[in-house]
Amino acid sequence: MKVNRWTTGRRCVQILMLLLLATPAFGWTFFEGNLGAAAIVGLQLSDPLAALQILLLTGTLTATMLSGTAIVLVFYALLGGRVFCGWVCPVHLITDLVDLLPWPKRLSSWSLEWKTTALIVTVIMTIILGIPVFETVSPIGITARALTFGVSSSLIIIVLIVIAELVLVRRVWCRSLCPLGGFYYQLGRFSPLVVAYDTTKCTHCGECQRVCFVPEVLAPSLKSQRNMVHSGECTRCGACVGICPEKALDFALRNPFER
Amino acid sequence: MSANNVKQPQKNLPTGVKGALVGAGASCLVLKAGSGYGWMLRPPGAVAEDDFLKKCLRCGRCAHVCPYDAVKMGKLSDGLAIGTPVIVPREMPCYLCSDLPCVKACPSGALDPELKDPLKTRMGTAVISEREECLSIKGLRCEVCYRACPVIDKAITVENYLNVKTGRHAIFEPVVHKKDCTGCGICEKACVLERPAIVVQPLQPPTESWYES
Repeated sequence: MKVNRWTTGRRCVQILMLLLLATPAFGWTFFEGNLGAAAIVGLQLSDPLAALQILLLTGTLTATMLSGTAIVLVFYALLGGRVFCGWVCPVHLITDLVDLLPWPKRLSSWSLEWKTTALIVTVIMTIILGIPVFETVSPIGITARALTFGVSSSLIIIVLIVIAELVLVRRVWCRSLCPLGGFYYQLGRFSPLVVAYDTTKCTHCGECQRVCFVPEVLAPSLKSQRNMVHSGECTRCGACVGICPEKALDFALRNPFER
Repeated sequence: MSANNVKQPQKNLPTGVKGALVGAGASCLVLKAGSGYGWMLRPPGAVAEDDFLKKCLRCGRCAHVCPYDAVKMGKLSDGLAIGTPVIVPREMPCYLCSDLPCVKACPSGALDPELKDPLKTRMGTAVISEREECLSIKGLRCEVCYRACPVIDKAITVENYLNVKTGRHAIFEPVVHKKDCTGCGICEKACVLERPAIVVQPLQPPTESWYES
């Protein structure tokens, strides 16, 4: 069996991220926090969506959060917003593994556009309830908390996501419901790093679409002979690049404002 | 063609709006249901509860840096406070570290960095809640809470008076002075009774920000 180098590499990064989130439980001190806000050997980072919620609620941001958010924003704006989903997020790792089981592939999938609705609902509810809603119910935060503070009843949301993805809709959380995914999708629309392909090498075997997490943004580009995937939905996971038997796909840089 | 395009969203939108409303409604209910029934002892420097719930990122950094693991994280049953830091003195009180690592770790200002002196924090205040159970008030020489108090002789003093039951012994009653009590909960942890006679309770009325500035 051919090893998909990109997928193997990504899996290693995902597991390293999971271990990083768990380090405070081992008593190590170089990392503290979770993906909402963290410090890695003193470098302050914070999630832009978390910062946005705090900004909406209190009207101000601390200097720590402002600089932490700026770093994260620039990082994902350059690499592609949903790189966060594909390479960093622990929930994506869990649902990736669930999707490796044979039967979820027979399920239908939902439209990708729901995420933006979910993002808007989250922002509205943040203002109505007076709490940062996504930080409160986020399965990402709950997973990270479970890693360092032990299993708790909040993990029910992870169980619900796994069950939904096993029996109802394939990859429903990461593809269609996650507000943070919606946020990073918007950010990734303008990033220079994209998947590109050589139309002369492509034999239309369809392997790349089978392994793709969001095939609906890969397929139209292939058909229309545009040589890049411009959508912010692409997680830059590299599965298509690694699987292509003709080596027709690869990462490339684009001018983000030119389509 | 254009008529079809206009009709299509009208057909699809209501299902989506319904879905969003059901989801939002359900999470509202779950979150609201668990909240409002209890008061939570927050780490030092925590701003007033309403603001705290707005500012707290639920990132857990205060808990990660707490050397005593005194800071726990709110559970699903805590409703709106899920994922927020809470101190349960009977499990582990706040030992008022002189460098306040939890306050320094907080990125969002939910734990106010203006707090520099741990003895100035006002997380709550100790209250003798079970006078009839308190060994000292019963006439025994306990006073464990008084000895344990980090602000001994200010936040807790011992007042002695005649034990009218015997007519010839003294009662050494621990008395809490709210003005100096940090609300750290060390007394609650130290109380020798199975169910503590001294517990930390909210300041009434709650001050604007929960430390003495």
